[in-house]
Amino acid sequence: MHIAEGYLPPVHAAAWGVASAPFVVHGVRALTREVRSNPESTLLLGASGAFTFVLSALKLPSVTGSCSHPTGTGLGAILFRPPIMAVLGTITLLFQALLLAHGGLTTLGANAFSMAIVGPWAGYGAYRLFRRFGAPLMVAVFFGAFVADLSTYCVTSVQLALAFPDPGSGIPGALAKFGGIFAVTQIPLAVSEGLLTVLVMRLLTQSSKGELTRLGIFAGRDKTERREEAAAR
Amino acid sequence: MLPIDAAAHSSRWRRRHPAEKALLGFGLTLCAVSLPPWPGAVLVAAATLTVLLGPAGVPGRALWRAFRIPLGFCVTGAIPLLFEVGGARGVVALAPGGPAQAGELLLRTASASLGVLLFAFTTPVSDVLPRLVRAGVPAPVVDVALVMYRIIFLLLDSLSKIRQAQAARLGHTSRAATWRSLAGLGATTFVRAFDRAQRLHSGLAGRGYDGTLRVLVPVSAVSRRFLAVSAALLAGLVALTLVLERSLP
Repeated sequence: MHIAEGYLPPVHAAAWGVASAPFVVHGVRALTREVRSNPESTLLLGASGAFTFVLSALKLPSVTGSCSHPTGTGLGAILFRPPIMAVLGTITLLFQALLLAHGGLTTLGANAFSMAIVGPWAGYGAYRLFRRFGAPLMVAVFFGAFVADLSTYCVTSVQLALAFPDPGSGIPGALAKFGGIFAVTQIPLAVSEGLLTVLVMRLLTQSSKGELTRLGIFAGRDKTERREEAAAR
Repeated sequence: MLPIDAAAHSSRWRRRHPAEKALLGFGLTLCAVSLPPWPGAVLVAAATLTVLLGPAGVPGRALWRAFRIPLGFCVTGAIPLLFEVGGARGVVALAPGGPAQAGELLLRTASASLGVLLFAFTTPVSDVLPRLVRAGVPAPVVDVALVMYRIIFLLLDSLSKIRQAQAARLGHTSRAATWRSLAGLGATTFVRAFDRAQRLHSGLAGRGYDGTLRVLVPVSAVSRRFLAVSAALLAGLVALTLVLERSLP
């Protein structure tokens, strides 16, 4: 769920744009360095961005019986790293605003902050943490995707609460209201996205080990991964 | 193709310079966001709808299909404004002034969305991206966005065909089968995206690819008349809003 065009007051829209800018600029620098050292990576990064866009077009059955779509931020961060995801996610949000009327241009900064910055960083952080403590790859992938999805919607709730404080109880009350609609209802969807990401990753480890190695998923990452690779051999 | 992009490619204003349409569309969006919702957003929405359905020639049905998506978010997002939580009136009570605030929010969001839709329905993304380099966006980022834009449609086409094939093989008959099919869909899309990138690289390498994607940008001059009329419309909307704001209740 993206914040729609014009939903945020101008000052909030500008402030979230300013907050997102350093992360996107950092990502742009990382992407530019990568493209200058490996010109062919332009095509791979473009394909990765297109994959992220298309992932959001998948209809996901929810635990509650309803239907939603995955954010793709967890899988994207695990595969392509958060700085690159900041750029790819922002471009994806721009395309979604112009091609699907999903999100908006005045709210691009706020949406980028939740979906392209906080979601990927939180998801990647959870993934790395679980790997560091020796969790199997798929457990780490599940929690990476779950945390990325849920944190995205929690940040969206905070953004809405800051923009529209409750007349009686202020920002905490507004956070309870928006969180109840956008974050609590998202828990089953975050579980669904975690499960889907695990299934996708399982298939990818079987069919696209070459691509995953190139993306660094299996190459010299940490002890657990090396141990798993050795066991697989 | 996606409906909005398909409409943009066959738009009456397709050959107009993107800067002209950006001034008008984004100008209307900025007016909708910054002017008082009553009567500003109403005037901006009326003007945008007139331009969309009149001179720009956007089909009404296509516009409604695109417009109902942001409208759904606005309605969901406006509901919490109707209530207050934990105040003096009880745990949950109707917020004083809540309906007015929700109404203003709906007006502002609907009006701002129409401004962006005016730009999106008349300007294909492929016309905008190459020009972003001149606007200061780093060339590698624009190149990545160009590749993304070209691959997106191929992947969406693949996605739809794989989904049909899965349905024909009873891939959606039970919850477990649906999950298996979805995972297969995601993984196959990933593999196809990378395969497409590798084939694109092989093809470009044979044509002397050096890391820069050079594309022909359709030549179109900026119409000063169009810019002047757009600026006059925006200034008129601002002036009329300020005048009406004082006279209306």
